[in-house]
Amino acid sequence: MKNPSSLFWPKLALRELLNNQRFSLFFLFNLALGLAGFIALDSFKESLDVHLGKNSQTILGADLALTSYVPIDDQTLRKLESNFPESTLSTQKISLFTMVASKERSVLVQVTGIEEEFPFYGRLILEKGGTVQPQFIRQNLDMRGDAWIYPELFTMLDIKEGGSVVIGEKSFPVTDSVIDDPSSSLSSFGLAPRIYLGLSDILETGLLSKKSRVSYQHLYRFPDETDLTVLVGTLKNKIRKFDGSYSKIRVLTHKRAANNLGRVMGYLNDYLGLVALIAVFLAGIGAAYLFRNYLVHRFREMSILMSLGATRQQTYRLVLWQLGLLGTGAALISIIISLGILPLLEILLEQFLPRGFETQVNVSSLIFALVLGSIGSLVFCLPVLTRIRSVQPLRLLHENTGNHEVEVSLWSQALSYLPLIILSWLLSVWQSHSLIVGSTFVGMLLLAILILGTLAWGILMFAGKLSQTSGNTIKRLAFRNLQRNRAGAISCFLALALGTLLINLIPQIYQGIQEEISRPDDYRIPSLFLFDIQPEQLDHLQNILAEENTQLNYISPMVRARLEKVNGTKYKSEFEEGLRTREQEREQGFRMRTLNLSYRTRLSDSELIVEGRQLAENYDWNSGSMAEVSLEERFAERMGLKLGDLLTFNVHEVPVEAKVVNLRKVKWNSFQPNFFILFQPGVLEQAPATFLASLGGLDKTRRMYFQNLIVNEFPNVSVIDVTRTVERVLKISDQMVLALRFMAYLSIMAGLVVVFSIARHEVEGRLWELNLLKVLGAKFSDIQKMIQIEFAVLGIYAGIFGVGLSLVMSYGIAWWFFENLWEWTWQISLASVAGVTTLSVAVAWLATRRTLRISPLNLLRSS
Amino acid sequence: MLLEINQLYKSFPQADHGQIDVLKNINLEIHEGETVAVVGQSGSGKSTLLSLMAGLDRQSSGSLRLREQEISEMSELKLTQFRAENIGIIFQQFYLMPHLTALENVSLPLEMFGNKDHQKRAKEALLQVGLSEREQHFPHQLSGGESQRVAIARAVVTRPSILLADEPTGNLDNETGVHVANLLFDLVQTTGMTLLLVTHNMEMALRCSRQLTLQFGTFQ
Ligand SMILES: Nc1ncnc2c1ncn2[C@@H]1O[C@H](COP(=O)(O)OP(=O)(O)O)[C@@H](O)[C@H]1O
Ligand SMILES: [Mg+2]
Repeated sequence: MKNPSSLFWPKLALRELLNNQRFSLFFLFNLALGLAGFIALDSFKESLDVHLGKNSQTILGADLALTSYVPIDDQTLRKLESNFPESTLSTQKISLFTMVASKERSVLVQVTGIEEEFPFYGRLILEKGGTVQPQFIRQNLDMRGDAWIYPELFTMLDIKEGGSVVIGEKSFPVTDSVIDDPSSSLSSFGLAPRIYLGLSDILETGLLSKKSRVSYQHLYRFPDETDLTVLVGTLKNKIRKFDGSYSKIRVLTHKRAANNLGRVMGYLNDYLGLVALIAVFLAGIGAAYLFRNYLVHRFREMSILMSLGATRQQTYRLVLWQLGLLGTGAALISIIISLGILPLLEILLEQFLPRGFETQVNVSSLIFALVLGSIGSLVFCLPVLTRIRSVQPLRLLHENTGNHEVEVSLWSQALSYLPLIILSWLLSVWQSHSLIVGSTFVGMLLLAILILGTLAWGILMFAGKLSQTSGNTIKRLAFRNLQRNRAGAISCFLALALGTLLINLIPQIYQGIQEEISRPDDYRIPSLFLFDIQPEQLDHLQNILAEENTQLNYISPMVRARLEKVNGTKYKSEFEEGLRTREQEREQGFRMRTLNLSYRTRLSDSELIVEGRQLAENYDWNSGSMAEVSLEERFAERMGLKLGDLLTFNVHEVPVEAKVVNLRKVKWNSFQPNFFILFQPGVLEQAPATFLASLGGLDKTRRMYFQNLIVNEFPNVSVIDVTRTVERVLKISDQMVLALRFMAYLSIMAGLVVVFSIARHEVEGRLWELNLLKVLGAKFSDIQKMIQIEFAVLGIYAGIFGVGLSLVMSYGIAWWFFENLWEWTWQISLASVAGVTTLSVAVAWLATRRTLRISPLNLLRSS
Repeated sequence: MLLEINQLYKSFPQADHGQIDVLKNINLEIHEGETVAVVGQSGSGKSTLLSLMAGLDRQSSGSLRLREQEISEMSELKLTQFRAENIGIIFQQFYLMPHLTALENVSLPLEMFGNKDHQKRAKEALLQVGLSEREQHFPHQLSGGESQRVAIARAVVTRPSILLADEPTGNLDNETGVHVANLLFDLVQTTGMTLLLVTHNMEMALRCSRQLTLQFGTFQ
C-alpha cells in the first residue's frame, strides 16, 4: 500500500475549511486580532534595535569614549592611547550638571564643553547655523564664547536669542539653539536640557573644582578596520592596573552607548509585550473554543474517512493541517492589522524614541508572526485535539444508539495543557527578558485563570440551582442554558473577566502612584532639592534661609566611595560581556556604580529596620570595635551582601572597614534624601563630603524665588524643582500608561470577539430548540430576553470578579513594588462592571440577532 | 472460503453494570461470489454483526476470519489497511463527504493510498452507477438515490473482496429504493463481487442467493 501524494491531506484540509467558512473566518479574525498587537510590538522592537544598531556611532558621536570623573593627565592618557592605530582622531568633552540663571529664572541643565572636532559621527545641527562645521565651533564657541542651548530653555529661562545665561562665574551670550545632536541620553525627557560651550569656556565657569561630579570624556574615531573588542580588552586590562581614581575610568563603545539608550525603551517594551501576550491568550481561548465545536462537527467526516481506510494518525494529520493553515492565515492577517497599529505605537511612545527613528516591518518579525500563528494555534487547540480519540467509525452504523464517548483520562487531559503553559512561559520570559518577571506573569495569569475558572464553575452550578426555583420560564431557561453549555459559558466568562482584570489593573496601579506623588501640599514631598553643597557653604546657606523664614530639611552629608572587599575578599564588580536578561543588566549597572555613603544618628521616618539592630550612637576610634553600617534591603540583595558582612570601602584612597548591622526598608517615593549605605556617626566626618538637603512647603513663586537666590549666591549648588520634576515624570508615565492601556484595549477587543463567536455559535447550535420554543408559543422578544439574561449574568459576574481580582492583584503589586501606594477608585470599578455587562449583552445581541429571526418553518425542512 | 464466522458472541455493557448479549453463537460461512442477505427486526443486531465483519468493532468471543485471516488478531493499523483493501461498506445514511464533489468522493479511497489512476477509475465507477454527468456536483446538490449511488461507487471503486451494505435503501422511498437495489445487484453480478446485505426488506433479500434471519441474537 502506498502513501497518498504529498498534497492530498493539505488539499483535503483546505477543502474542509473552505466548506466551513463561518468557522474559518471567525477563527482567523479572532486569532489575528490577538496576534496583531504582539506582532506590531515585535516589529517595533526590531526596528528600534535596528535603528540603535545602525546609529550607534551617531549616538555616541564616536567609536569609543573614555570617561572619568577626574581629569585624566597626559601621562595616563598617553599610556592608554599607546595601542591606538596611527590615524586615530581624538577630541575631549566635559559635562556637568549645574544650575544656570537668566535675569529672572534658574534651571538645572547639563553643560557640555566641546572642541572643534566634535562630533566624529552624526551631526550637531543648529536652528540658525545649520549643520555645524569644525571651524564654526572654534569661531563661535572657543573664540567668541557663545552658548548654544536646547530650545526648551528659551521658555524655561524666559530669554530670547541674543540674551545671556549665567553659568558659574561667567555669563554667556546665547546665539543659537540646538536642533539635533549626538546624545547618549534621552534628551527629550527634558529633565536636564543641554547647553553647549567651548571646552576652554567651561573651564572659566569655575565650576569644575566645586562640583562633585564632572564627567571628563575623551572621544575617539578609529580607522575603519579597527577591531574594537580587542582594543577594549587591552584598555580594560591597563585601567585595572591603575590605582586611585584612574582605575575607575570607564570604556564606552558606541554599541554600548546605543544599548544604554535602548534600555529605557526596553523596559517599557517588556511590559507592553506582556500585556499584548494577554490578548494572544484571550484570542487563544476563543480559538480553542471555536475549534472544539468545529472538531465535534467534523467527527462524522473523520469517521467516514476512517471507514474508507484512513488511520487515526491520518485524521490527526488532517486536523493538524487545518490548524496550521488557519494559524498561518491568522498570522498573515495579523501582519496586515499590525501595519495599522505600528504608526499608532510610534505616536504613543514618541517621548521615548530616539530622534529620526522610523518603524519598519522586517523579515524576522514576519517569520516570528508566522511561527507564532501556526505553532500557537496548534498548542492552544491541543487540549481539544485529544477528543479525536473518541471518533469511532462504528457510530456510522449505530447513528441512534446514544453516545459512546471515549473517556479521555484526566492525565492526558492535563498533559495536553502542558505545551500551552510552556509556550506561554517561554513567550513571556522572552518578552520580558527576565526569568523572574516572565515567570511571575505566567504564574499570575494561571492563578487568575484558575481562580476565575473555579468561580465560573461555581456560578454555573448556582445558575443550575436557580433554574429549578426561578418562577419565570424565560429566566429558568436562561439559567439552565448557562449550566448546560459550560464550556462556552466558562470561555466567555474567562475572556471577559481576564480582559476586565487587565484593563483595571493598569490604571489601578498607576492611580495609586499618581495619588501619592501629585498631592501638591503634602508636607512629605519637598519643594526643592539641593545638592553639591560644599561643607564650608552650609552655615552661610542656613543663615540666608533663616532670614527668609525657612530652613533646610534633612541635611545629609554624602561621601563618595567604592566597595573594595567583602569579608576580606575582593569584590567582583564586573560580569562577562553579553548579558542578556534585564536582571543581569541592572545588576551590572548597580555593581559598577560609585557608591554614595552617608551618616546619620537616627533613621528618618521613611525608613524601617527589617533585620538586625539599630546603629550604635557615636563611633569611638579608640574602642577597637568595628564601625557599623546599615544597608538598604534591596540594595544588599542586588550587591549580594548579608547581615554581618564585613565591608571594606575605599573612601578617597583611605580604606574604611565596617560591619553590616542592619538592613533597612526605604520609602523612596518620600523624596527625602535617602542612601543605600548609612554609617554610624563618627566614622566619615573627616572625609571630603558634599551635602544634600531639601526645602519644603513652597508655592510656585517662592520656589522660583529661592531657586534664583541660591543660584546667585552659590553657583555650584544644584537645585531641582521637585514638583516640576514630578510633573514631568507623571507626564511621561501618562504616556506609558496610555501605551499600556492601548494594548489592554486590544485584549478586551479580543475578548469581545470571543464572546461574539461563542454567542453566535451557541445560538446556532440551539437553533432547532429555539425554533421549537417559537412553535410552542414563545415570542421573539422572549427568546431574545433569554439570550440577554444569559450574557448579562456572564458579564456581571465576569466584571465583578475581574475587577475584584484586579484590585487584589494591584494591591499586591503596589505592596511589593511601590511600598504600598494603593488607592481604590471605586468609580472605575463600577464603570468597568457596568461596561463589561453592557458590552457582553450588546455583542451577544449583535451576534445572534439574525439567527434568532429565522422562521420556525425550518424545523420542518431541516434533516 | 472468503468469510468464516465461528461461535461469535458480542455483548455490550449496560449502564446498570449488567450487559446485553446482542449476538450469541453466530456461525456463518460465505464463499467468494456469494450474495447473502441478513434480515431481522430493528434492534436484532444486524448492524452489530456488520460492524464486526467490517472490523469496526471487536467481538466478545469467537472467531471471524476473512481471507484466512483472523480479524480480531490484527492491530488497529493493520486492520485499517486490511479494511481499505478488502472491504467496501455502504451505509444507510450514505455518508458522503459534504465538501467534496461526487467524483472526489469516489476517488477519495484511491487517492488516500496514492493510486495513480484514481481519476480514471473513479470516473469508471461513476459511469457504472450511471452518474457520469453528476461528477462535479456536491452531495447537497444530489437527491437521496443519487447520493446512495455515489456511495456505492465509492464502495466498489477499490474492488474489495466483500461488499457490506447496511440497509442501503432504508433512507429512500420505495421507487428509488428499487432503482438503487437494481443497480447494486447488477453491479455485483457483472463484477462477481461478494455481497453481504443487511435489510428488512424481504423483496430485496430474496434477490440474494442466500437469506438468513437474525432473531434473539442468533440465526434462526
Ligand atoms: N455500543 C453499544 N452499546 C450498547 N448497546 C448497543 C451498542 N450498539 C448496539 N447496541 C444494542 O444492540 C442491539 C442491536 O443493535 P443494532 O445492531 O444496531 O440493531 P439493528 O441494526 O439490527 O437494528 C440494540 O438493542 C442496541 O441498543
Ligand atoms: Mg441497524
